[in-house]
Amino acid sequence: MSLDETPRAADEAIRVMVVDDHPIWRDAVARDLEASGLTVCGVASDVAQAVRVATATRPDVVVLDLHLPDGSGVDVARQLASLDPTPKILVLSASGEQPDVLDAVAAGATGYLVKSASTADLVAAVHATARGEAVFTPGLAALLLGEYSRLSTGGDPATPSLTARETEILRLVAKGYTYPQIAERLVLSLRTVQNHVQNTLTKLQLHNKAQLVRYALEQGLDAESD
Amino acid sequence: MTVRRALSRAVDAYRLLTLVYAAILVIADHHQYGRPRLGWVLLGVMGAWSGVATFGYARMSRRIPVLLVADVGVAAGMVLATLAVQTSARIDAGAPTLPAAWVAASVMACAVFAGPWGGALAGVAVSAADIAERGAVTAHTFNGVVLLLLAGGLGGYLVRHAVAAEASVADASRKIAAVGERERLAREIHDSTLQVLALIARRGREIAGPTGELAELAAAQESSLRALVTSDPPTSGGSGAADLRSRLIALGSARVSVATPADPVELPAALCEAVLAAVGEALSNVDRHAGPEARAWILVESAEGAVTISVRDDGSGIAADRLETANGEGRIGVAQSIVGRIHAVGGTVTIDSQPGRGTEVEINVPR
Repeated sequence: MSLDETPRAADEAIRVMVVDDHPIWRDAVARDLEASGLTVCGVASDVAQAVRVATATRPDVVVLDLHLPDGSGVDVARQLASLDPTPKILVLSASGEQPDVLDAVAAGATGYLVKSASTADLVAAVHATARGEAVFTPGLAALLLGEYSRLSTGGDPATPSLTARETEILRLVAKGYTYPQIAERLVLSLRTVQNHVQNTLTKLQLHNKAQLVRYALEQGLDAESD
Repeated sequence: MTVRRALSRAVDAYRLLTLVYAAILVIADHHQYGRPRLGWVLLGVMGAWSGVATFGYARMSRRIPVLLVADVGVAAGMVLATLAVQTSARIDAGAPTLPAAWVAASVMACAVFAGPWGGALAGVAVSAADIAERGAVTAHTFNGVVLLLLAGGLGGYLVRHAVAAEASVADASRKIAAVGERERLAREIHDSTLQVLALIARRGREIAGPTGELAELAAAQESSLRALVTSDPPTSGGSGAADLRSRLIALGSARVSVATPADPVELPAALCEAVLAAVGEALSNVDRHAGPEARAWILVESAEGAVTISVRDDGSGIAADRLETANGEGRIGVAQSIVGRIHAVGGTVTIDSQPGRGTEVEINVPR
């Protein structure tokens, strides 16, 4: 068993970094997280600072706003993906940035919460993200359904698609059902429901990585032939 | 500079160049004229008129129609005046008219300011003068007639399209500017107002009591303001298509979650209105019957041939048998009205409800 699979000791606090360009909001979130027993190891207000602070402080979870002055939270997600261990990313954003949310998820974010969520929801989401669970809002589920539907019309056999079960579960999430409610309704274990939801994210992220690799290879081959 | 003004200046340049050409012809041929002095006078008239026309068209005044008629009249007059200047022997031998190519300037001016029909009409008038001057339709005059009609008719046609294209480009850049301004406002509101409202809602809820009520107000304002700056401006694609997605996003509130794909969901406007009315009824049904704490979730899914919209609430729900039979209850009436609206546009509705488990209305419309 490798080191990072060791179950976290109960008293070992989860280290969180908060990235948001609005100081009042950022500090309020950081205080709330501290008050709930989490450790806020750093805060940042733009892309460059976020990457610097994350590299220095190695947070477990990054609570990330997508709207930053020198770029998008998507850039932060992409750059943090090269850190080892890779911090888990929970997007905490206004619901307005929908294409951005998809990009952030494709770049490796595993959770999405809107800013109107309560403090209790946020704290629960940070814990779930730290455990490696996908944190979904109905909005994110609908975005993923739309994205898979868009990909399926491309006719490329290499594009990922959802199983009937995954589609069914994602639709229930999009209609506001909680994981326990879905588990009860479909007579599945909670763990199974979580795995299915997780898979819908993972497939998209792998597809995104494969595309990046393919792009890099094509660029590389072009460079050689020049 | 507008397209029309630019073309009018091109006509001015043409008028000047052809005036020089006409002057060269007069200088070269005047000793062969029947009345050389009249030739010089008429050349002076052409020069003066060129100045008047250039100045007049540049002012783009309401008197342009008068100027166009006068322009064609002067051109035709100059062609006919050739009869008085040249000897008939030279005219029969195919000598050029006194103004030569200069007459085409008036035809082109008509094309620029009066469109294809005005241009063609001017072409016909000048051609008629040409034929009258020559006394017969020769191969030479026939070429001239074709060229004049082409310059007038085709030129006017192209000008009309260029002017229309210019108007739509101007319209598009106005729209782009409006969208840019809208985005700037949305950014500003997102950066400041929304953040503060969200914070007030968050802190207020923790304090509870009367502050909690303020928090709910702030939360409601935050979500409606967010919906406002997020939804795209109502698009009216000429085909009468409407974006269902942005219209539904605007329905979002603290109690209503709206989940959509990332891209606009375009539907024919009438279909879009029917769906919005049905969703509106489903939501007001939630308000009236599902209980004060009930929340609602709207999901939009867009497939190739159909759009599915579901409205779910977690309210009190109703038993399936009562959904079928109890016509007396208000909400059944609402359900029937939703079904009626959607059937009328060729869609289907399924209503699923169980006591204590809320109600789900699923609307399916073809696209």
